[in-house]
Formats: sequence, structure tokens, C-alpha cells
Amino acid sequence: MTKKVQDEAPARSAEAQAWIDENVAEQQVRYEGIVKEMDELAPTRAKWYEEFLHIVQTKGFSADGDRRVVIKPENVPQKPDRPDRVVF
Amino acid sequence: MARPHIEPYVELNEDFKKFDQLGTTGSHYKILSLDVDTGACTLKVRYNAGFSRPPGMSYSDCEIFVLNGLMTVGDTTCVAGHYFFIPAGVATGAINVPQGCEALVMYNDSEPSFIESDTNHPLANTEGFISVNSYEDMPWGGGSIVSPSVATGCMIKILRYDPLSEAISFLYCMAPKFMQDNISYHDCAEESYHIWGTSWMMQFGELPTGGYFWRPPYINHGSFRCELGTLAFGRTDSKLHNYFHFNPWSNVDENILRAGAHLYRQRPDMFKWVASDGHNHPHGPDDFQNPGYNHPHEH
Repeated sequence: MTKKVQDEAPARSAEAQAWIDENVAEQQVRYEGIVKEMDELAPTRAKWYEEFLHIVQTKGFSADGDRRVVIKPENVPQKPDRPDRVVF
Repeated sequence: MARPHIEPYVELNEDFKKFDQLGTTGSHYKILSLDVDTGACTLKVRYNAGFSRPPGMSYSDCEIFVLNGLMTVGDTTCVAGHYFFIPAGVATGAINVPQGCEALVMYNDSEPSFIESDTNHPLANTEGFISVNSYEDMPWGGGSIVSPSVATGCMIKILRYDPLSEAISFLYCMAPKFMQDNISYHDCAEESYHIWGTSWMMQFGELPTGGYFWRPPYINHGSFRCELGTLAFGRTDSKLHNYFHFNPWSNVDENILRAGAHLYRQRPDMFKWVASDGHNHPHGPDDFQNPGYNHPHEH
């Protein structure tokens, strides 16, 4: 196995761990704020989905580069019976 | 759990924090994303006027992209657009910032670290060092670096390409009125920082100047619009393949299955080998050409 510089890194110091812990906690708050903001966008996003599905049936779906493929109505996906989630 | 999904995040609304440890005294930072286990992170750093750091190295690969201002690194004068890839253990010259400077700073393996040194670590991958001004010294290329590809109007400059993982760091731009009517996801994590401009994605809305995302694999994004143009810095952590589709409601589990089906169709024997008992473990298989590249344990 090839040995790397990273394998010789000294053990993480208490100071560095404290820095990580502090910033992980702040990042979690930021993440929760993003989830809330994206949940609030859901009604607008539903309209965007509707417009998108109209575009792929008329102007076409961007399949590769500038090549578009018009999607037949029977192939358009239906909204599943579950919450829509965009942040994971 | 690595880095969480941070998207969208507009850092311009947040305050800088004083950076007075880990070899960065005299600067301020914002966390854009942080791996909760390893400490690997992407930071926006403000180097205050008069910042000075002696020659030294880190135990992590580090990437720097200068956003504005000027810094000198050894004998190299770096202005906006300058990009560094500094492999772990490579000693860079002293850093001096006479009048202030802001940069994206990325530690890829662990939390920020700094060891004063004017010589490279004996194991340092010195050939991996990159220093280039991406604005002035590189031409734009078409965005169709993979197939299927993005639509015309998205251009790219590859700043770094890892031949083993096919991870890339790149500058990209979207022309005014750019549009792409599909939903995309990838096998790789994807990261972006908007240097200038606003673009729109159907899931997340508008991402303006100072907008950022760290997106784990298999998460839907797009369709895409850009009204007035955008300049951005981006990265992936491994090979980028565009899985395009038109189902706005597909979730991560369904997207992974579809990616598996793609592998099954295109490389059926490899799919069977990976899926078979005794060979299916979380690290990649042995590579006789690159021993130990991601396979840290012995059988």
C-alpha cells in the first residue's frame, strides 16, 4: 500500500476538535434553516414543476446537449403520494 | 455522515468569524461546508491587510481560489482568478497580503492544519501541485466534457483533473439566457460558489452572487436557467456523469437504482462482479497500476 502524507498526520488536537465541534453545530443550524426555506418554497416549486412538464411535452426535454426530445403525454410522470423533498 | 446537503446558501448574508488558530492568525473565515467526521471543509477566507504567514505545509490537500485582492505566495503574485492545488505535504512559500484579499480555501482530507516548513514532506506528491491564473491564462472550452452533456451556453475551464477518481475542479460560466430543460443528478458530490451572477434551478430557486452549494450524490437539480450570465467555481469529488431525466418527484433511492441500472446496461459483467458475494465491500477493488489508491486495508 502506498503511504501518503495524510497517513502521517498527527492526532487531532483538542483545539482543532473544538473548532470542528463549534462549526458543526453552526452548520446544523444553517442546514435546518435551509430545509425550512425550501419547504416554504414548495407551492412555488409545484408551479415550476408544472411548467417544466409542459415544456418537455411541447418544446422538448434536453436529452443531450442541444438535442431535445418531446415527451408524449402518456410518458409524463405522475406525482407520487408522498411528500416532495429537495434537501437531503 | 460526511458533509450535509447545503443548498442553497448565500454566504454574503453572514458575518466572518475570527480565525486565530490552526495557523491562520490575521484572517477571518466563513464555513461554507464542513465534513462533520474528518473536518474537511470549504471556507471563504478574508485575509486582512498585513496578513503574513511563513513557509509551510498542511497534512491535507488544499485548494485555494483567489476571489479578490492580492496575495503573494513565495515569488508568485496572485490576483483574482488564481487557483492553487497544493498536495498534502507540499511546502509553499511565505504568504503575504499587503492590502487584503478574499479566497475560497478548501481542505480536502481533514480540518485546516499548518506546519511551518521550508521543505516538502518526504511523501509529498509534488507533481500534483498546480498554480495558475484561471482568468488570464486559460481559454474557455465547451461544457460538453462528458456525454450526455450540458446545453450550449455553459462553458468550462478545467483547473484540476484527478486521473484516478476523475474528480475535477473547474471554473464555469453560463451565458445570458442559458437554459437547459432537464433534471440532473450525479454519482459524485458537487460543489459550486457563484463568483458573480444569478442562476436558477427548479428545486432551489435563484442562486445569486455569493451563492453556494455542496450537494451529495444522486440529488435532483434542474431544470436550469440563467438570465444575465454567471461566473462560478465548481468541484466534484469523483467522476461526473449526467443522469438526465424529467421526473421532478424521483428521490435519492430511485435515482441510485437508476444509476445502478445504467451500470448494468452498459457494463453488465462489471455490475455482476461488483454485486457478487465476496467482492462487494465499501472500498474499490485492487488496482495493480495504482496500489493503495483507496484500499487502505489488507485482505
